[in-house]
Amino acid sequence: MKTYYKEDLKTSFIFLLPVFILTLFFIFIPVIATFINSFFKDIIFLNKRFVLFQNYFYLLSDSGFWNSLKFTIIFFIVSVPLEIFLGIIFTLVLNYEIPYKGFIRVCVLLPWAIPAAISARLWELIYNYSYGLANFLLLKIRIINEPINWLETGFSAFVALVIADVWKTTPFVAIILLAGLQAIPKEIYYQAVIDRANFLQRFFKITLPLLKPAIIIALLFRTIDAVRIFDLIYVLTKGGPGGATTSLSLYAYKYYITGDFGYASSISVILFIISFIASIIYLRVGKFRQEVL
Amino acid sequence: MKFLKILFSLFSITFLISCSSKYKSKITFMVGGAPNEVAFWDKIIKEFEEQTGIEVEILKQPADTDQRRQSLVIALASKAEDPDVFLMDVIWIAQFSRSNWLEPLNKYLKMSSLSLDIFFKNVVNEVDTYKGKIIALPVYIDGGILYYRKDLLKKFGIQQPPQTWNELINYSLKVQNFMRKKIPNFYGFVWQGAQYEGLICNFLEIASSNNGGVVFNNRKIILDSPQNIKALELLRAFIHHYKISPPNTFTEMKEEETRIYFQKGYALFERNWPYAWILHQKDDSPVKNKIGIAPLPHFKNGKIASTLGGWHIGISRYSDHKEESWKFVEFILSYNIQKKLALNLGWNPGRKDVYEDKELLRTLPHFKKLKHIFNNLIPRPNLPYYPLISETMQRYINASLANKLTPQEALKLAEKEINFMIKRYEE
Repeated sequence: MKTYYKEDLKTSFIFLLPVFILTLFFIFIPVIATFINSFFKDIIFLNKRFVLFQNYFYLLSDSGFWNSLKFTIIFFIVSVPLEIFLGIIFTLVLNYEIPYKGFIRVCVLLPWAIPAAISARLWELIYNYSYGLANFLLLKIRIINEPINWLETGFSAFVALVIADVWKTTPFVAIILLAGLQAIPKEIYYQAVIDRANFLQRFFKITLPLLKPAIIIALLFRTIDAVRIFDLIYVLTKGGPGGATTSLSLYAYKYYITGDFGYASSISVILFIISFIASIIYLRVGKFRQEVL
Repeated sequence: MKFLKILFSLFSITFLISCSSKYKSKITFMVGGAPNEVAFWDKIIKEFEEQTGIEVEILKQPADTDQRRQSLVIALASKAEDPDVFLMDVIWIAQFSRSNWLEPLNKYLKMSSLSLDIFFKNVVNEVDTYKGKIIALPVYIDGGILYYRKDLLKKFGIQQPPQTWNELINYSLKVQNFMRKKIPNFYGFVWQGAQYEGLICNFLEIASSNNGGVVFNNRKIILDSPQNIKALELLRAFIHHYKISPPNTFTEMKEEETRIYFQKGYALFERNWPYAWILHQKDDSPVKNKIGIAPLPHFKNGKIASTLGGWHIGISRYSDHKEESWKFVEFILSYNIQKKLALNLGWNPGRKDVYEDKELLRTLPHFKKLKHIFNNLIPRPNLPYYPLISETMQRYINASLANKLTPQEALKLAEKEINFMIKRYEE
């Protein structure tokens, strides 16, 4: 490790202080408070009382919790790899020297710039049965004869959500990967071309391995985001049909709304633990210590 | 130090300014809603300030009902002195009263010119009373009603709107088959079937019209009754068997979706709240002057039922200005203000006597029928954890509408899950 002057350390600490304070107040304290709250039976119309693990035992027997856990896990297992896959393709295309590169990049990144709730409304209008764009276009070009009810079954609502989520967040993956891609020295590719490595060989032997740290970062962010998905579902399906698309955070929200803060906190803690474990796995797999830091 | 000095002088200036106010005392009123509604409250408050010399500060809330509830809960749970007065959605009252947040109004009512007789009796008895005390009063009453196309019924020689569900089905099929030649997506009956609170309102109406409903007894609810099963079967048949309701009823149909559908002229009957009337009657509405309202139909041996909605006013137990707050409540519930709310915002008054007002009936003639309908209002289960009950019912009833569960299975499972949940809250 490099040695720093004492003065330098002091100045850097002062510069970091605001971030520390913000993190403390807006992340650290709420997380701790949620942990503590999850050990209480804290219902607004009853007296608050310490119950230790009772909320967690209750979780185990709550089928609604298991269903939403299942949905959340399947959702991120399906959507995140899709986003990474498409993100890589986007990145490769964007990295080429094509005309109007700047304009195309802006277009691709646009979905990411739209607030999630608004893009969810947008998709609501696209999926709408009677005046939605999807049905309108498909009817016009005669692929279907009568309108499709996109949000009818649990499966189709799930697909609709995945499509909307992939549309919105693939640009995010692309922008992170693009940065990673541009950090790869061009010389390696020149060398590879001279050695007569074809496109696929160059991709699998150079691009992918060197892009790995960026991919891991994208995976990390996307996983945390996908696990706590709320806004898109809240607007588009409200957890329906028949509760088939209720994510964990939506499930916790339901209990917050009822005023059962203790139970809602314990669901949030589970959510936190899932994200935490996922992060640790990624960091381990990515061997960040050697490659990035 | 200099910073502290500036801060101190700023504080003293604000203190002086607030002292020099021309009003004797100040209350805070928490209210939200659409922009035009909030703007109208500003006007009403000015009138109140001039009349009484009590200053009112509005704490503005967003339009979203859940968010309005949240901001109230935060203030009341922390025993804040503000707000003093606020509006509550009818389904929050049970939780607020069980939490002991609402000031009993009986002692103020005793000395007031306001009498309880002017309100709808069933509303005051069922939702505004807690442990024998009045804890809130209705400002705005809502209830489900049936909108129908006068012109189309006439065309087919039907004299009056349907009294029973069977009539509704028959009329729908008759008109629908004919209308589809011109409008392929014409449907007989649109209602709210998406998975949200509105579905429960629709379900309770149809269940009650078959003498059913949600019964709460001995810390348990009963949902799985033959009357309820039959009601849910009928709702399902509207979509899948008779096909008089569009296939997206259970995925997308909320109030606005149904209103727009009906307003475009694509439906014969619509179940909605009274707010739709003014919009249906707008100049650019294709159904303008072609519509009428009626009580919702019922089963053969059933009764008229309409789910109670709307907003009630209450005073916080932690308020530091209860007397002044009561004056404000009295003012809001006065004949004049209730009439103004009806004329300007289309709010159906909590007071019965306003429905007879001649001036009001001239601009809004449908008020005459509303009064009759509102005498048959049924409340939703008046329990502090109602949101959870509703959410569970929404899920199962919606699944049944989607044909994934039979009505009997859906109600049985919902009942089981709800009773499992209730144990947490009934101690």
